[in-house]
Amino acid sequence: MGMYAILFERNLIKIAIGITLLEASANLFLIVLGYRTGGSIPVFTLAGEVRSMVLPTPQALTLTAIVIGLATSALLLSLIMLLYRHYGTLDVREIRRLRG
Amino acid sequence: MLDKVYSGFGYWDVFIWLLFFAISAALVLFVRSMGRNDYKEGTDQDEIFYGSNPVPEDGADMGVPAASAYWGFVEALKPYYNALIDIHSGIASDYVGYFVLTVAIVAVLVLL
Amino acid sequence: MNWQIHLPALVLAVPLLGAFASPVAGLGGRATRNAWMIFISVLTTAVCIMLWQKVIAGGTAVYVMGAEAWNITLPSGLSWPVRIILEVDAFSAFMAVVGSIAALAGAFFSLRFMDRFTGLEKFSALYFLLVTGMLGMQLTGDLFNFFVFLEIASVASFGLIAFWRDRPEAVEASFKYMIISTISAMFILIAVGFFYGRYNAVNIAAVARMLQMGYAEKIALVFLVVSLAMKCGAVPMHMWTPDAYAEAPAGVTCLLVAVSQASLYGLFRVCFSLYGASLGSTVVPWTIIVMGVLSMFIGVTMAVIQKEIKRLMAYHSVSQIGYILMALGVGLLALRDPQAMADYGFTAMKGGIFHIINYTMYKGLLFLTAGAVFYSAGSRNLNELGGLARVMPQTTFMFVIAAAAIAGLPPFNGFVSKLLIYQSTFAVYPLLAVAALVTSVLTLASFVKVFQTAFLGPAKKTYENVTEVPASMLLGMSLLTIVIIALTLFPGWTLSHLVEPAAKALVDQAGYISAVMGGGL
Repeated sequence: MGMYAILFERNLIKIAIGITLLEASANLFLIVLGYRTGGSIPVFTLAGEVRSMVLPTPQALTLTAIVIGLATSALLLSLIMLLYRHYGTLDVREIRRLRG
Repeated sequence: MLDKVYSGFGYWDVFIWLLFFAISAALVLFVRSMGRNDYKEGTDQDEIFYGSNPVPEDGADMGVPAASAYWGFVEALKPYYNALIDIHSGIASDYVGYFVLTVAIVAVLVLL
Repeated sequence: MNWQIHLPALVLAVPLLGAFASPVAGLGGRATRNAWMIFISVLTTAVCIMLWQKVIAGGTAVYVMGAEAWNITLPSGLSWPVRIILEVDAFSAFMAVVGSIAALAGAFFSLRFMDRFTGLEKFSALYFLLVTGMLGMQLTGDLFNFFVFLEIASVASFGLIAFWRDRPEAVEASFKYMIISTISAMFILIAVGFFYGRYNAVNIAAVARMLQMGYAEKIALVFLVVSLAMKCGAVPMHMWTPDAYAEAPAGVTCLLVAVSQASLYGLFRVCFSLYGASLGSTVVPWTIIVMGVLSMFIGVTMAVIQKEIKRLMAYHSVSQIGYILMALGVGLLALRDPQAMADYGFTAMKGGIFHIINYTMYKGLLFLTAGAVFYSAGSRNLNELGGLARVMPQTTFMFVIAAAAIAGLPPFNGFVSKLLIYQSTFAVYPLLAVAALVTSVLTLASFVKVFQTAFLGPAKKTYENVTEVPASMLLGMSLLTIVIIALTLFPGWTLSHLVEPAAKALVDQAGYISAVMGGGL
């Protein structure tokens, strides 16, 4: 879904949304990796009677990836604003002064 | 430090090349020194040879601009160059398209 | 000698401290900010060289972040590593030294080049963040950590490329780079996720020990190889390279060249140490070789027709990366067969690795000279420049050295590494060496064009008032020139002390694994 938006949409904002969608899917994939059937939250003191826990490491990895995604989305949107101010258009097919 | 580099097929020695350049530089300087130095500066004897045309004042009017360098090479390969320049279109989503295409092709090749 | 075991962490900590303290140093005005920038760059280079000496003397260095002692890789009772481990073998140390020298030259150059900009403490902070990201990519032994440092370097470079906010082309270049870089980073993240899901570990040595090729590993390999090759600038994903390299300020471009080498390092770490002997078929080496040949050819043919000096050099960057990819692909091809390795594989790897240091040095110098021309003459368009050799003699001299080195003219160092590559790839498939030779000739052709139009020729009226660049910029450029001349005059020493340990460390997958898993305590 995200790849479709990035490849085929013309509006820059929609491309940025596509990128965010792609990042969300990657993060979701990482969290799901840690699931163990019937597991509870991986906190020692709050889990109560515990048999097996969901793995905490992918949650740490995903948190890092979410933060990185936040930084890139923020930068992406600010660059889009600057591009609009310079070029006056948000169409990706028009923004091609560097070509050849 | 000052040794030869042996590749599996031969060797490379820097200093033989430097010696070669030194000898050829000496020859060049020798030939250059046999010129005459009794010309008068500032007159026509000092000007470059511009195909017997009058030499332009500003240097910008002489010479070939960079865009027309290698014109013959580019003309001979025109079909290839037209296709190549069309690929480098400058559109951002096309770039991502090439990336995804490469991933797909290599994945198919690896998984087979 | 007790503090020397902390060297891997120091290499990362020094530029990070430099980055975060730059705004503070900037409060004292221009002099303190410049002094801080130079101090941190010199310190980083010194620490990298010390780390390299330690690795050459003592074997692969390992550093565990956050453990009680620095080398408890396998905590008591467990059989796989659980913390982030920095693993520095000879190849990593080599690339760290190369990268830090390029960073130092770029820092010297940027002192005066950036005079016309404002907000320079942010430039300095971003610059050091980029250096941290690059060094982190080269030193880490952990896949997810590699991804994090890759993102640090990428985000810092987005900011630096778009530093010239008033030029729409710079913002456009940064935007295009950002889109494709983010997408490839997501692919890398998914690949890392595959590894974590299958083996419950993200440490490279741990995964390498437990690796068994299945569908998931093959897909992960494809994602990793193509994404990392894209960040180097391999065809057909190279479109961001001319835009980004041309629009960034010149000192930043010099550093961006080194950062693309770091992702090249990641590519070879994945292929050699992570997969290594379990690569299976020869599809991946041949893919890398084909990408290399395409990059060489397309890069240089596009470069011949360019009109702008930095864009032309950026296309050459693409083609030189093609050389390195081809050489290391041949090495990868010979990995399984010891006889082939002794015949041509090891020579190919030595040629490729020597070409890495050559390429970083002369490409950095070329971009810095182009920046010097832009600073003095105010134009990057080759149609307008001309006759600058009279007024900028030192810049011209250094440009000639760098252009001769990149074109592979003897006696420069470019010729040595290209000779090794030609001879070894000829043994694999003769057409590869033919493509490499044609590329070399076309490289020479395009640099003759640049030299002729920008430097030689009659003096133009518009450039009568052009003077030579200031001394600090000359200092940065001459640092790289001195390194190139040193590499030219002493190729034997360089090959046996710098390149060969690096090549041996790459080939030796078992040694890489045992440094973390077996010999921890």
